[in-house]
Amino acid sequence: MYYIDLAVTGISFGCMYAMMSVGLTLVYGLLRILHVAHAAVFALGAYVTVLAANATGSIALGFAAALIVTPLFGMAIYRLLYEPLLSYRPDVPMIASVGLLVLMQDAFRIVFGEQGVTFHRNAFSFTTFDVAGVTIGAVQIALVVAAAVIFLGLHLFTTRTRIGVGWRATVSKPKIAASFGIDPIKVRYLNFAIGSALAAVAGGLVALLNNLVDPGIGFVVSYKALAIIVLGGLGSVRGTLVASLVLGLVESYGTIFIGAWLDRDAIAFLALIILLMVRPQGFTGARTA
Amino acid sequence: MSTVLELDGVAIRFGGVQAVGGVTCSVEASDFIGLIGPNGAGKTTLIRMIAGLLRPDRGRIFLGGVDVTADPTAARVRRGLALTHQIVRPFREMTVLDNVVLGAGRAYTSSPLRALLHINRRRENERAMEMLASVGLAGTERKLAGALPLGQLKRLELARALAVDPKIVLLDEPLAGLNHTEASKQAETILEVHRRGITVVLVEHNLEEVMRICRRLIVLNNGIVIGDGEPREVMGDPAVHDAYVGGGMVNHADA
Amino acid sequence: MSAYTISIVSIIGINVILAVSLNMISGFCGQISLGHGAFFGAGAYAAALVMVKTASVPLALLAALAAGSVLGIIVGFASLRVRSDFLAVTTIGVNFLFVGFVRKQSWLGGEMGISGIPSTGLGASGNMMLILLLACVIIAFSLYLSRSWMGFAFRAVGEDEQAATTLGIGTGAYKLAAFGIGTALAGLAGALYTFFTQFITVDAFDFIFSVMLMAMVVIGGIGSTWGVVAAAIGLTLLPEAIRFVNDYRLLVFGGMLVLVIRLAPGGLAALVHSLLARVRQA
Repeated sequence: MYYIDLAVTGISFGCMYAMMSVGLTLVYGLLRILHVAHAAVFALGAYVTVLAANATGSIALGFAAALIVTPLFGMAIYRLLYEPLLSYRPDVPMIASVGLLVLMQDAFRIVFGEQGVTFHRNAFSFTTFDVAGVTIGAVQIALVVAAAVIFLGLHLFTTRTRIGVGWRATVSKPKIAASFGIDPIKVRYLNFAIGSALAAVAGGLVALLNNLVDPGIGFVVSYKALAIIVLGGLGSVRGTLVASLVLGLVESYGTIFIGAWLDRDAIAFLALIILLMVRPQGFTGARTA
Repeated sequence: MSTVLELDGVAIRFGGVQAVGGVTCSVEASDFIGLIGPNGAGKTTLIRMIAGLLRPDRGRIFLGGVDVTADPTAARVRRGLALTHQIVRPFREMTVLDNVVLGAGRAYTSSPLRALLHINRRRENERAMEMLASVGLAGTERKLAGALPLGQLKRLELARALAVDPKIVLLDEPLAGLNHTEASKQAETILEVHRRGITVVLVEHNLEEVMRICRRLIVLNNGIVIGDGEPREVMGDPAVHDAYVGGGMVNHADA
Repeated sequence: MSAYTISIVSIIGINVILAVSLNMISGFCGQISLGHGAFFGAGAYAAALVMVKTASVPLALLAALAAGSVLGIIVGFASLRVRSDFLAVTTIGVNFLFVGFVRKQSWLGGEMGISGIPSTGLGASGNMMLILLLACVIIAFSLYLSRSWMGFAFRAVGEDEQAATTLGIGTGAYKLAAFGIGTALAGLAGALYTFFTQFITVDAFDFIFSVMLMAMVVIGGIGSTWGVVAAAIGLTLLPEAIRFVNDYRLLVFGGMLVLVIRLAPGGLAALVHSLLARVRQA
């Protein structure tokens, strides 16, 4: 039973990581930039969800608000920070991104307080179901369902709709796509918008899960996301999904074995470093460095 | 020992294509070789394998009689090899002079410890100035390499390669992108390099200049050698003619 | 000199050593390292353990140098395999791993850290003098390094590895050398820190601190020893001088990092350079 509990935790965390990390891999795939500040986007999504939910009394509206605000923030980061730095070597926008993340995290602390914000009324965090002797939280279910819907949706979008296909084409063959009349700039904004929206969903769900959003919420997840996208093969959405789930499970089960001498959060990095040494191109080998 | 370079069955495959399929040949010290062939014949791939930038799947490479197949590029440079790149790679943040001085300082940079213990550059500065003058870049020394136009960058690339004091230079399309006059001048400079006793292997599409300056042509097509010998004879060979006519090669300086 | 002044000067000295050593790795050699705090920490812990066992200052310094450089060379091997921004991610990982590991080890003090570390016997001003002395030596070394053939080769490796190998420069060896030297010095700074505080916890060596060190290097001007020294001094003093900055430290530092990269990527050094050039022309 315990092992199944761990599996549930592992999978639901994995789904959360996946939604959070997809944005990161999308930006890398398109611009070759490690968008570390994506964590701030995630955190903003979480904060907006809680604050809007508290203001309107509806969690659904909270999510809706986050889905509007967060993509705008993500696109602004592209326009103000990355676009002017595209001609430099990739470390430069990355360092700027790190600076932005640090700045935003502190800004959240200053504006919303060290203790963070909580939902006024949140039944979900505490709702659990008993399925064949295993306790599963409502939020955990929501995480899995959301991830399934989102990834399926992404798949359909990029294979069945004109805009989606154009987006995929631009990511893999920008010049050819441009000659078909697809505007690469619009694609970039779309890229950031979608990635950020997904992070917002992940953020909102984490807020529900813990019933709390504190200034540090973005940090650890963001670095794990970096590890995940490398493990999954940069630019590969499928790879990111796989790596996220694997990481979620490894963290869950891993703490049994190495929890004694290594922090749970460091496991992701250990895995990353081992992998980079053995296979610098990541699990699926998509889009090598 | 007059065999400077020897290739024995060197081959490599990528992405399902046999880019180079078993090349065997021998280069003497006095050679001036033009390595030609249609686009995609494997010329640059072969050069990169000789330089150590690419590892062959099969075969061996010998520099001055020593098997260097497993050696990294820097080690081959220490054995007397030099390379210029098809797409120039100057150190843009350094001055033109410094680019060449770095090459001239090969003895000092051979090991980090050695490099740490030495700071004097006077001799290397002088050699670099001479080298720049010999390729026609006198006067540009203080400029940042990033500020030079292509024609001058190609010459800088050559000067830098010569600065390491090589026995053999591999030149990957040194005339590409140059106009007729520039190409002629560059070809003259390369001829001068050969006259100084350095073995030259030149990959080029500019057949006019190649015919003029090279003493031996090796023709590659689809990764294998289809002609090797005196330029006129090789160009007269119908197999070579077919390869070109089918292969869409350009006959004059082209960007 | 008041105790406060001694304390500030000591911290400045330590930060200068850290920034200058990071500049060797990331500035001279172009290998972005966002985990410098881990090497600082490794040195601090090594020194702490030695001091607790033997109270021998020279031994502690040596242990710190060794700890920093061994960890650094291991990370250096990573730089041989992965591209620059991935290297940055790996260094971030190293920082997290270091902190995560230390937190769980009771022999390293775990969450509580190591306290009651024996003093060096030099007293607060003695320690400060030691720090300043070493900082000066290290600055001099950095200037020498920059002018030497090693600095020259580092710049080539940092700009274009492939072009560097065609000039006979063994890029792998140089990257390892950069990491080895830079991290050994960071370890040394760790020992000095241990002597100064006599009490260390792993929080002082976290990723945020590494980002602050990188901010000093970027703001000072990547590659410029003097620029980095000035930035280290300035950024250490700023929170002390301005209360606002102290409370909103990360906001200010993060903001400065972003602004400098966006508007003046060459940092202070480049600004001073172009200012001097304009003065000369006038």
